[in-house]
Amino acid sequence: MSVPKAPSGHFTLLYFAAATSFTQKQYDFIPAPLSIEQLHTTLETKYPGISERILKSSALTINLDYVDVEQELAKGIDGMQIQPRDEVAVIPPVSSG
Amino acid sequence: MDSFQTADNKVHNLRRQVEATENQLRELKSQLQQAEQQAEESRNAHSAYLGGFPAEWIDETLQVLRQNEFPNTAQTIRQDHGFQQSPSAANVTKRRWPLDKDEYIRYGRQLIMPEIGLHGQLRLKNSKVLVVGCGGLGCPAAAYLAGAGVGTLGLIDGDTVEVSNLHRQIIHSTTKVGMTKVDSAYEYLAALNPSITYNRYPFHLSPDKALEIFEQYDLILDCTDHPTSRYLISDAAVLTGRPLVSASALKTEGQLIVLNNPPKPPGDLSGGPCYRCVFPTPPPADSVVSCGEGGIVGPVVGLMGVLQALEAIKVLTAKVQPIDQDPPKPTLLMFSAYNTPQFRSVRLRSRRKECAACSSQASITRQALTNGSLDYVAFCGAALPINVLPPQARVAAADFARLPQDGSNKLIDVRDETQYAICALRGSINVPWTGNADSWITRATQSGALAQDGRHYYIVCRLGNDSQLAAQAIMDRALLPILVKDIKGGFKAWREEVDPSWPDY
Repeated sequence: MSVPKAPSGHFTLLYFAAATSFTQKQYDFIPAPLSIEQLHTTLETKYPGISERILKSSALTINLDYVDVEQELAKGIDGMQIQPRDEVAVIPPVSSG
Repeated sequence: MDSFQTADNKVHNLRRQVEATENQLRELKSQLQQAEQQAEESRNAHSAYLGGFPAEWIDETLQVLRQNEFPNTAQTIRQDHGFQQSPSAANVTKRRWPLDKDEYIRYGRQLIMPEIGLHGQLRLKNSKVLVVGCGGLGCPAAAYLAGAGVGTLGLIDGDTVEVSNLHRQIIHSTTKVGMTKVDSAYEYLAALNPSITYNRYPFHLSPDKALEIFEQYDLILDCTDHPTSRYLISDAAVLTGRPLVSASALKTEGQLIVLNNPPKPPGDLSGGPCYRCVFPTPPPADSVVSCGEGGIVGPVVGLMGVLQALEAIKVLTAKVQPIDQDPPKPTLLMFSAYNTPQFRSVRLRSRRKECAACSSQASITRQALTNGSLDYVAFCGAALPINVLPPQARVAAADFARLPQDGSNKLIDVRDETQYAICALRGSINVPWTGNADSWITRATQSGALAQDGRHYYIVCRLGNDSQLAAQAIMDRALLPILVKDIKGGFKAWREEVDPSWPDY
């Protein structure tokens, strides 16, 4: 499956592993700009329970760079902003093997 | 008389001179021979030791060459290159090349790679690698490391071989079902490469043993299958200063990270991040899915294990980094078999300043690990067996089988479509449970499965967990003033109590 290009004014949010199972989706297009805190709120509204079940334990990346979510959440609205056309990924730890 | 005497003396002196000169000549010839021999030996040793690699590696080379026949030459080489320490040559036997004859043949194909070379091979031969877990990841990882000539391989696993392992755990086999995985792996690996040392640990890694075992190795591979072992292995690797190659796989996806590389002491931010730096919070215990529950495509986990062996070889044979060059940037490699692109490499951050294991504020200590005060099960949470329904809302599979088949009952199967297509009871309705009660109720209502037609509802799944959650979702919403029950133990119980031919997948 390859992900189509995000429509203008949106960024691509990719789901991996348990995040795919939880959302039943591979990706979403979400309007930008958006702070990490707003991303959490948006996702919680869209997928109730996702914060506790998935986001809390997952890594988050923007354009393949790891984001320190705790740090960004502490900064709130002043933290980094996700821009249109960015590729953001929710990466839950895979522990099986 | 005088002239006779003078002539005699002259003869005598000349004789003595000839004798002395002959002695000197003999001595010179002998010295020449020795010098020639030494020069030849030096040439051999030089080309053997220094076949294109820098002087900094001599220490390691000489370690391998303990049984070297030329301690003097070795000493000369050391002095030539400014290494004063004398080699610890205990027993001196005749040996001309640093590797055995057979080793040049066995490892020749990787030996000629500039990335490995003689130096790399010697380093592999000198290294000890611990493989924690001999399953889907550990099988290929251990096989490639044994093949590559790692000097000592440690194998840890507390499980025995099962038939359902064999589609992916490629070094076990049908004839070894029931054998410990460690012994089964050992048999395979010893046949693959008998020239290396194998240490067997046929038990699960526990905090009290971890440090003691890790200290006997240079590099650790995490080939386990649960968050508790992943945090334990990472903590022990940090505490013992060992780099860690960690991989995992589930369904069609895999992850690979080289952690604690370089393995600096806790508090040194120039060290590589540990597992806690990347994933500080463990996932909810009841969300952790095993390969048995979630499924795994064999080559996906195989690939991740092969990549682990590759990263291990890279770490073990890494050339000395020039001081002015930055250490390798840590990355998380993600593999998704059915996505495009299949591989994504995420750039990780350095160590977390407040990491519980590798920062200056680390709370995880050697004592905490060895005295058992660190409870990894408590940290990761234990997934308790689901038991949410009152006894009257549950029915045994055998009792369900005895119910009249007159259309007064409705069976809802909450397994996913794939499992439903493998085997299903005739007349059942498939509404997969996806973990969210609201969305399940919506889908069940839309599909007509929950029509209020006065019938009794029975819910079934694979093992009897999801069926309880679905039954509870119906009861919580008091949607139906009718009877709702789940089938205890799901299709596993159905097979055991009712239909032995039911597929045991």
